[in-house]
Amino acid sequence: MYNTYPLHNRPQNTPKDAFSEGVQHTQQPIVTGTSILALKYKDGIMLAADNLASYGSLARFKDVSRLRQIGEYTVIGASGDMSDFQYITRELDSVIVDEEVTKQDGYQLGPKEIHEYLANVMYGKRSKMDPLWNSILVGGFRDGERFLAFVDLLGVTYTSPTLATGYGAYIAQPLLRKAVEGKEDTLTEAEAHKILEDCMRVLYYRDARSINKYQIATINASGPSISDPIKLETSWGFAEGIRGYGAQTA
Amino acid sequence: MPGMAHPQQHQFNPYSENGGTILAIAGADFTVIAGDTRQSEGYSIQTRYAPKVFRLTDRAVLAVNGFAADGNMFVKKVKQRLEWYRHAHAKDMPLRAIARLIQTMLYAQRFFPYYVYNILGGIEDDGTGAVYSFDPVGSYEREACRAAGAAQSLVQPFLDNQIYFKNQTAAPGQTHPCHLPLPDVLSIVIDSFTSATERHIEVGDGLEMYIVLAKGRTLHGMEGLRGAQELSTQTDGERVFVVRRELKKD
Amino acid sequence: MQYNGGSIVAMVGKDCVAIASDLRLGSQALTVATNFEKIFPVQDRLYLGLTGLASDVATLRERFRFLTNAYTMKESRAITPSAFAHLVSSTLYERRFGPYFIEPVIAGLEFHPAPEGEGKGTWRPYIAGADLIGCLNFAKDFIVAGTAADKLFGVAEGLWEPDMEAEDLFETISQTLMNAVDRDAYSGWGAVVHVITKDKVVTRTLKSRMD
Repeated sequence: MYNTYPLHNRPQNTPKDAFSEGVQHTQQPIVTGTSILALKYKDGIMLAADNLASYGSLARFKDVSRLRQIGEYTVIGASGDMSDFQYITRELDSVIVDEEVTKQDGYQLGPKEIHEYLANVMYGKRSKMDPLWNSILVGGFRDGERFLAFVDLLGVTYTSPTLATGYGAYIAQPLLRKAVEGKEDTLTEAEAHKILEDCMRVLYYRDARSINKYQIATINASGPSISDPIKLETSWGFAEGIRGYGAQTA
Repeated sequence: MPGMAHPQQHQFNPYSENGGTILAIAGADFTVIAGDTRQSEGYSIQTRYAPKVFRLTDRAVLAVNGFAADGNMFVKKVKQRLEWYRHAHAKDMPLRAIARLIQTMLYAQRFFPYYVYNILGGIEDDGTGAVYSFDPVGSYEREACRAAGAAQSLVQPFLDNQIYFKNQTAAPGQTHPCHLPLPDVLSIVIDSFTSATERHIEVGDGLEMYIVLAKGRTLHGMEGLRGAQELSTQTDGERVFVVRRELKKD
Repeated sequence: MQYNGGSIVAMVGKDCVAIASDLRLGSQALTVATNFEKIFPVQDRLYLGLTGLASDVATLRERFRFLTNAYTMKESRAITPSAFAHLVSSTLYERRFGPYFIEPVIAGLEFHPAPEGEGKGTWRPYIAGADLIGCLNFAKDFIVAGTAADKLFGVAEGLWEPDMEAEDLFETISQTLMNAVDRDAYSGWGAVVHVITKDKVVTRTLKSRMD
């Protein structure tokens, strides 16, 4: 009668795991991916990520895909620890399958739901002081609506017409904002592609943990598609003219 | 011994600080609750639009500032508890009860706190405008006005002067009004945020002002207000409006 | 910079400037005096405010008194506010790697001679501030310093407007200072305000909260 707290949600006083004190948590990333970039354009969302997984400063794995399709409407891209990312994709895939076989209602999780779920997983892990060491972008398109959002190891979330993680937040995000802000509804797929390519090139010039091979994910009305690896065309002629810092000081 | 690596313990920090400022002022039969929409970490702007002010019921609005992940999770849980209350009692929780609920929810996390400053604004059962402010572990009091967040130190003394008439003497034979009319309050709120934007780097981009009107109160004072959007579920009880304004983006 | 407490603000008006400070002298959280003035006259229309470590305030007050006297004797003329600001800056920068723990605020009227045959000239408002190693800040509106600097910024940004007459400027700077220091544990316990106009300087001691 006066109950304001559903029974199944009551706090339980069941004993804790007797060995929980002895559990050690992973507290640093090992094999890492660098920046993820993403933007909104006229017909959907586009994400970009290079194909490198580093081991410290060593370029350890050079053909890793850091963009993954989840369900029929969503692509996620991850920077940070790659094993944690693989765990996340495996978890999400199983959630998609679970939903499909248990509910049998023909409904698939969309980008909003996947982002919310992911944010809760990330926040839950950080609250256990056992974080999943990633910054993740979730891009999607469903029912004529574009979706682009961020979530990181702390469970911090946000959305924006352009997003970038890692070094991309410092180097690419200003370029993306300049190219996209106010033009989200007019940018064509080709223009969006060009913007991301230019940003990936700048990142390759300046981010020591990047590589000149990247993929682009496009999500629009016809669903997600992730490109084959693309080689970056670079020219280092300008480097001759750089003076005043680094090894060359005169 | 130089060069000898000390064994170092890298500790995961489950908190971060996402900037921004919130503010609420109570009138005789209305309350204004406002917040800027910038979300930042360090010197990076994560997004120019991340709401910090949320409608809870037709007579209660909650502003949340501090660690964004905790803030969003806290608002989610408060909304959940209010929904359960609605299902059990077939009515909305009274404002002072929401205030006490927030206190217990915050104190429940006393030893792993929500790193969040809360300001609750709305209409009390007796029809008066009310503001409740909280610290991260649940200390709270009812006030006429309160600022919190990154620019609290800039805004609160200005409010002391303009709302409480601190350090001002009324003309001979006259007294200060104990409640200001709505247009005056809105001007003070806008001035507070433009000032904070001018002098604090973490404040800016956009301003969201929620206006809660007591039951039966006319829209008097909102005539000249550009772009007010009504959020209330009915027009014969308390009414909630939101007004958005641009702030400088530098 | 928090040891003794104290705050200063200076503002520009129409043909006038004002500079104001609190009167507290503390030893951490303990208040030891409520008559500690932090603003000193340099010339007829030029005042210097010093916040920060009280011993350095006293030292630098004497140092700048000596330096302006030396300047006046050597140059046979009064020092201008802008020249004085640079004197303050270079004096502080001399101690770049072992600084005086103070933040100075300068407020005065600077004489601008008229072109030949067009009368005498005008006195224009001049304010400046600096950090503890002498990085000058020439603001067009107001300068704040001390333990309540952030609060002073907030209130001043809300109350100040351009081209105020002396009376309005006095009210604005007084309200700014009092409401800011009332939210600062290290400042307050009374205040003094100097309003400088071409013909006179009006100094008022304000009654304010004593807690």
